[in-house]
Amino acid sequence: MRPPPSSLVLLALLVVVAGGLGLDRGGGVRDIALDAQPPAAPLSVALPNRDGSFKFAVLGDFGTGDRPQYQLAGQMAALRGRFKFDTVVTVGDNLYGGERPQDFKVKFELPYKPLLDAGVKFYASLGNHDAREQRYYKLFNMGGELYYTLTPSPDIRLFILETTYPTPEQFVWLEKELKGSNHKWKIAFFHHAMYSSGGRHGSDLGLRKVLEPLFVNYNVSVVLSGHDHVYERVKPQKGITYFVVGSGGELRAGNLDRASGLTAKGFDADLAFLAAEISGDQLHYNAISRTGETVDSGVLSRRTPTP
Amino acid sequence: MLYPDLPTIVPSRSTRGITSTAVIALVVTALLALNACAGGDIPPSPPATAASPVSAPATERVVGPLSAADAEALATMHDGLKAYIELHSTLERSLPPLPKDASPEQIDKNQRAFESLIRHARTTARRGDIFTPAARPVIVRLLATVFGGPEGRQLKASIMDENPVNPVELKLAVNSRYPDTVPLTTIPPLVLQTLPKLTEDLEYRFVGDWLILLDTHAHVIADFIDNALPKYAG
Repeated sequence: MRPPPSSLVLLALLVVVAGGLGLDRGGGVRDIALDAQPPAAPLSVALPNRDGSFKFAVLGDFGTGDRPQYQLAGQMAALRGRFKFDTVVTVGDNLYGGERPQDFKVKFELPYKPLLDAGVKFYASLGNHDAREQRYYKLFNMGGELYYTLTPSPDIRLFILETTYPTPEQFVWLEKELKGSNHKWKIAFFHHAMYSSGGRHGSDLGLRKVLEPLFVNYNVSVVLSGHDHVYERVKPQKGITYFVVGSGGELRAGNLDRASGLTAKGFDADLAFLAAEISGDQLHYNAISRTGETVDSGVLSRRTPTP
Repeated sequence: MLYPDLPTIVPSRSTRGITSTAVIALVVTALLALNACAGGDIPPSPPATAASPVSAPATERVVGPLSAADAEALATMHDGLKAYIELHSTLERSLPPLPKDASPEQIDKNQRAFESLIRHARTTARRGDIFTPAARPVIVRLLATVFGGPEGRQLKASIMDENPVNPVELKLAVNSRYPDTVPLTTIPPLVLQTLPKLTEDLEYRFVGDWLILLDTHAHVIADFIDNALPKYAG
């Protein structure tokens, strides 16, 4: 399905605007420059799109202000035309380089304008390229907090964490929140991946040592991170499914280590975001590329508490 | 409409807009943390690294206990830290509060105004005002212990990830602005648990092999220790 003509015009304008600005991207590591080809393939989606389900998208490592980011944003907007997600959770590196007001505009507000205008709410976690003040930014909906929770439905709770400076206080808070949560679905979002086959960074073992016992003990079903600029669905680890969705704006092509033994499905040939839907005990997911191709899809069931 | 659930404990708030009582509490927290390092009554000294059981909670400090001399050396940071926190809080209160739904313009204006206030108020600040000459070698030694441990190589790799910069070339100095284009280094939990605890708005970060004390609101380097990261790890 193609986006409506007005969306295409808007997208084209945004691309021109972005291309015309000499943006400061000094903080980003650019291993590859994606070519300027426009998104071509019609958007293909394989989600149930049920009434009353919780629909959301996940985006990471995106705030470059470059054309590919805008193109992926265009696919997100196109998807929403047929899959009405109202929530986007970011897994950090929301803005690369400078963070002056014009950077917020060009690296976030303009590319996602169609979504923002449609009332889609972004909930941010912070990455290592993000200044701490982003927590006050209205459109990131962090309420001034570096870590927080969301409860989109009585059965679902999202835990948005901060992993560049993981204080003991945050872990104490997290354990308390997890322990006190009887939600069927507990899903964690943060920047540094505990499991990743990305050649640039890979798995953060220190974080894994601290967080994994909490996730296992308190029945977290899914964990989504970024940092490595690829898409990866990791084989379930101790019953938990891990996604790396650091492919939102600055690709590291060919960076997945295929020999890691971790990868259930990987995609490192283009940018991608994740669209997901929770209905009952199932979570359906689609990873959608910059060209509109669904590069991974499937369904997973929530973990059930062990007696 | 989806609203963030507010954390049920006060985990991570800016000192902006909080009461003087809370500011004092933060200072007390910092001092208590340092007192703990100094062998005070609470909390009790943690086990030494070698004696730490595998099952020890990961959130507990695993390097220590400190010798009386080391604790005394770290305690020399009290005055400088307390003075900095008081200055930070006083200056922050002089600015209009930053709302939790701020625009980029408000954030930028507030941040740069605060940076200016801090830098003007600390024109005479010198290296060692907080990381005192007595505390510095102890911190370097604590870090060497952590990075010399079984996880040292991985910890160092985590810190050096996206940290290939030369702090000398960046002309980092006390009271200088943290470079906007240099990503923040990750500080692994084990390292954070090893260093004296700080209050919000002050964070440890590494730039190259320098350990800096970063005022995250002002984006200003409050103090630093050069060559803090051991050259070899693990």
